[in-house]
Amino acid sequence: MSPGTPLAQIVFVPVVMSAIVYLASRRWAERVGWLACATLLYTLALAVAAASRGTLVEEYRWASSINLTFGLRIDGLSAPFVLTILVLSAAISVFSIPYMKHIIGQAHRQYGVYFALYLLYAAGMVGTCLATNLIEFYLFYELMLIPSYFMIAQWGYGERERVSFMYFIWTHAGALLLLAGILTTSAITGTFDISAIPSLLGRLAVPLQTQTWVCAAMLIGFMVKLAAFGLHIWLPYAHAEAPTPISALLSPAMIGIGSYAIVRIPLTFFPQVFQQYRGVLSLWALVTIIYGSMMALAQDDIKRLLAYSSISQMGYIVLGVSSLAAMGLTGSMFHYISHGTCKGLLFMVAGTVILQTHGERGIAKLGGLASKMPLTAIAALVGFLGIMGTPPLNGFQSEWMLFGGVFSQAIRSGNTVDLLVAIVGILATVLTAVYGLWTVRRVFFGPCPKHLEGVVEPPLTVLIPLIVLVCLTVVLGVYPRLALDHLAPAIAELLGGL
Amino acid sequence: MAAWLCWLIPIAGALLVPLLARVDRRLGGYAAVSLCLLAALATSTLLPGAIAGQRVWQQVQWIPQFGLAAGVLADPLSVFLANVVAWLSLLIAIYSLGYMHGEEGSSRYFALFSLFVGGMLLLVLSENLLQMFLGWEIVGVCSYSLIGFWYQDDEQHWVGSPPDAYPPSHAGMKAFLFTKAGDIGMLMAIFMIYASAGTFSFVELGQHSGWLERLAQAGLLVPAALLLFAGPVGKSAQFPLHEWLPEAMAGPTPASALIHAATMVKAGVYLVARMAPILLSGHHDGVATFFTVVAWVGGFTAFMAATQALVQHELKKVLAYSTISQLGYMFLALGVAGLAEDFSAGYTAAMAHLLSHAIFKAALFLAAGSVIHACGTRFMDGMGGLRKAMPITFASMTIVALSLSGVPPLSGFWSKDAILHACLEAEQYALFGLAALTAGLTFFYSLRMIALTFLGPRYAQHDPAHPHKVHEAPAIMWVPSAILAAATALLGLANPFLEDRIRAYFQPVYGLAAHPVAHHEGGAQIAVATSLVMLFLGGFAAWYVYIGRRVSLAQLRQRYHWLGSIRTFLWNRWYVNAFYYHLWRRLLALSELAYARLERGGMDRLQMRLADTVTSTSLSAADRFEAGVFDRLQSSLAAGVGETSQLAYGRVELGVFDQAQGKAASGLTSMSRRVFKRLEMGIIDRLQRLLGRSIVEAGQTYRKTQTGILSFNMLYVLLAFLILLLIFGGAILWPW
Repeated sequence: MSPGTPLAQIVFVPVVMSAIVYLASRRWAERVGWLACATLLYTLALAVAAASRGTLVEEYRWASSINLTFGLRIDGLSAPFVLTILVLSAAISVFSIPYMKHIIGQAHRQYGVYFALYLLYAAGMVGTCLATNLIEFYLFYELMLIPSYFMIAQWGYGERERVSFMYFIWTHAGALLLLAGILTTSAITGTFDISAIPSLLGRLAVPLQTQTWVCAAMLIGFMVKLAAFGLHIWLPYAHAEAPTPISALLSPAMIGIGSYAIVRIPLTFFPQVFQQYRGVLSLWALVTIIYGSMMALAQDDIKRLLAYSSISQMGYIVLGVSSLAAMGLTGSMFHYISHGTCKGLLFMVAGTVILQTHGERGIAKLGGLASKMPLTAIAALVGFLGIMGTPPLNGFQSEWMLFGGVFSQAIRSGNTVDLLVAIVGILATVLTAVYGLWTVRRVFFGPCPKHLEGVVEPPLTVLIPLIVLVCLTVVLGVYPRLALDHLAPAIAELLGGL
Repeated sequence: MAAWLCWLIPIAGALLVPLLARVDRRLGGYAAVSLCLLAALATSTLLPGAIAGQRVWQQVQWIPQFGLAAGVLADPLSVFLANVVAWLSLLIAIYSLGYMHGEEGSSRYFALFSLFVGGMLLLVLSENLLQMFLGWEIVGVCSYSLIGFWYQDDEQHWVGSPPDAYPPSHAGMKAFLFTKAGDIGMLMAIFMIYASAGTFSFVELGQHSGWLERLAQAGLLVPAALLLFAGPVGKSAQFPLHEWLPEAMAGPTPASALIHAATMVKAGVYLVARMAPILLSGHHDGVATFFTVVAWVGGFTAFMAATQALVQHELKKVLAYSTISQLGYMFLALGVAGLAEDFSAGYTAAMAHLLSHAIFKAALFLAAGSVIHACGTRFMDGMGGLRKAMPITFASMTIVALSLSGVPPLSGFWSKDAILHACLEAEQYALFGLAALTAGLTFFYSLRMIALTFLGPRYAQHDPAHPHKVHEAPAIMWVPSAILAAATALLGLANPFLEDRIRAYFQPVYGLAAHPVAHHEGGAQIAVATSLVMLFLGGFAAWYVYIGRRVSLAQLRQRYHWLGSIRTFLWNRWYVNAFYYHLWRRLLALSELAYARLERGGMDRLQMRLADTVTSTSLSAADRFEAGVFDRLQSSLAAGVGETSQLAYGRVELGVFDQAQGKAASGLTSMSRRVFKRLEMGIIDRLQRLLGRSIVEAGQTYRKTQTGILSFNMLYVLLAFLILLLIFGGAILWPW
């Protein structure tokens, strides 16, 4: 591969490095994590360079017999996703080093397997966002499932084999629905190319009934990934029982890809269906928001609480998508970034607490940790304030744009139901504040119980990723144009073309 | 330029404070004081322009994609607030040097202090709603952090009396959540305004009032205005979102002085003052509803909080309820301003009272901090007779308490009187009565506070064997308080000369009626007379009970039970607080119920049952398939092969070789027949048996691979995946 192919490198260098990481682990044990981190930082640099060039497309011959090319495309919409995934992956690979030490211990080879799978996972996620045709998309979609499945099964907590299998089956079932939609679409249009399909569908004047079924199949597949209400039951298990670095990728990075996919695929292909059923989608999103927050209130396990919080946050994103307004949609996509950094922070904090307290996860047993781990406490506060939408953090920017768009759309359309959904939606953000601040208080404030007297601040390999994410959260909160300058035009163009 | 530096310096400087504190503990405090000084100087430079009626308005691009600019607006209103905030912050920062001396975590305190000052200045100097909201939330976060400053929840830092006692971490959370509830309403209003107007900028909203008409047509003008008011209701602790302020007393006293008396709680007043002229510019009738609500919320809150201040045991809590009450006065004034012909009367009264209150309330809190520090207790039961031991503090505190009560000629008298006058001008007689009654109550609880703290006998300390030696506060703590007491006196004495100047100062903000029109003759005199009467009544009652000690309230309560009931009602905070905790418990119970029944009991169990059904069905199907179908197929296949070979054997053997036998010599053919037969039989037979056995063996071997062990399956899938990858990778790489 020549240096002029950044996107291909972003996807395949981690794949190649995974083999090298595995081989190196016999000598280096957990230090191969640094190798993984270096790989991801390299791909991050490539991604930043590629993204700053605007839109970049690379195409390779794949199976010319069925007219299939292997393409990679980075544009205003996929760039934020790719960059967030890579930043999170790089940061969490560093966090993995001390964390996996307490699970794996001395078995050197296992570090190799872990980091190899980790790199494959990152490659899968990034590939999904860069794919230009539906088969390739599906391939990467399933590809990011497999390494994560193994990692949960091997190093997770609780009934990990069962949980990982549950995660696999649910996601796979959704993916099969997606595949049905993909195959139908390509049968109708004769191509798999994502950029070519919308115009073909438009010209072919496919009946709305058919469009609805195909769109529904795809949408439900993605909603499983997003863990929308009703299809969410796998997520608390998977995120709670996964080893925490993987939880920190599953929740912030992976499930949001479902939202990217919804915008990239069903929304662009079947805008009429979305126009017709936006009310239903927004109601579904609203229920998800409220249900996720309420379930979070009832949790004692920190990681389960964060898992339900993620479900709620995904609801926000879908609400923004359902507005079909430029500001709302931009806010949604930006919310992926905000939720990514903030939830990444929160899961890392949860992992830190587990690490430093030697396995304590129950909130009832925790308390007063701020005096022992002040920097971790600040990171936790930043994380929760972020998802609560507090300025000057990035969560505020994404939430005001999201809700601003939803409100604008509701007022413009004059629809009472839309307005009610907007009002209840924004009221529900109080729930986020409730469980957020309450959790910070229960875990970090108050007197320190006897059994936690020995807790100390985590090592630098944990603190540095935390600090990096805190800085990102604040910087994007004060100057969101770093992302918006690319994202907003892309969304405007996308909506204009509908 | 100055308008930008005012808030940039403290915010940026806040990051420096912890770093400096690492070098030397005291540097953090000095840094904070310096930052406040710089900010105060910057705000002063804006004064000349504001007094001349000029306005500074600058914008830079922030999020141009959605029409959001960042910028400053320094008009008379903002400059007024900015100066109040900056100079008071300076005095309180100096006081904090003494108060936080040697205290653990003081660097965190001073960093938050600086950040707060920057945030507050950002709030008042912002040129648009969303940027103002940014400042609004920054001060909210600082407030949360400062209230919960002693987050380890030591017993001594709790606030309240059981069962209504709360630790600092809880108090901080409560403050944030109550203000958040208000903020959400405000955000909704901001979005509605934006959807209609396409801009967030104050100046643009004021200039082009078409958006008011559009909102009104959609029936959303009054809802948007009221929702916008929800923010101030939360931030300025008005009914029904006022319950966080009493608990906020858990924070360090200078923080209470700064945030919960002098500055942050005024943010709501600022917003209403900012938006009121804009709302009026559309000349829409519905706006009157907004102003009526503002006035009544203010008036009712003033009364309610004053009644609750009557029964407090903690010194800071009296001040907290007093703050809520006085803020109510400000909203009352702004509300009646919008209902009157002459907008300037109520508006000027509100602003005057804001200044007045900021000065005397800050002084009260600083003095209270000195007293609490000296006595080692927050309860007035542990004070008393401090007049001799702390004379300067006694003098300052008494002066400002009198100003709070509206005793002439102190500044509080003039501003409160102006509010009463404004009520009369707007013909709001019910509100006038409420305000006047509250004034009487105010004097009562103020005198009560002074009496219990400074007069009378010295109450017993916790340990009578070791009486706490009480002495005057260090200079760094009594000087700021004394300065403010002097200021309140001077302001009061100078008021007759300043009144018209102040009115003229604010006039450019709303640009309405140029000269005050007193419609109701004698209104001013009635107001003064009424306030003096109420002062007399309230003062006499307080003297009778607490200073002259002519009667014991405890005995009165025993004789007249209804007095006791009133006291309980007031002590229980009109049951509003209890109601909120009841709501919270309900919410938690509902969540837990939904989790148990709907999530675990419903959806989770459904998926588990589905999984179990699928697994057991496939298991039994597999068994049945193997036993019933596969095995049978296997044996019939083996048998079939046997039969076919028999048939083939018969045909080939008998058909071909018999003929050959008939033609050829007997010995050769018979021999060849025998050999061939053996070969044939041997081969076919063995083949047949081999085939049968192979099929069975293959089946057995294949069955062995279905171990059901996860790692094996993992291996298979991984192998398959690697093969797929190789194929696809190869396909791509092949051209290279």
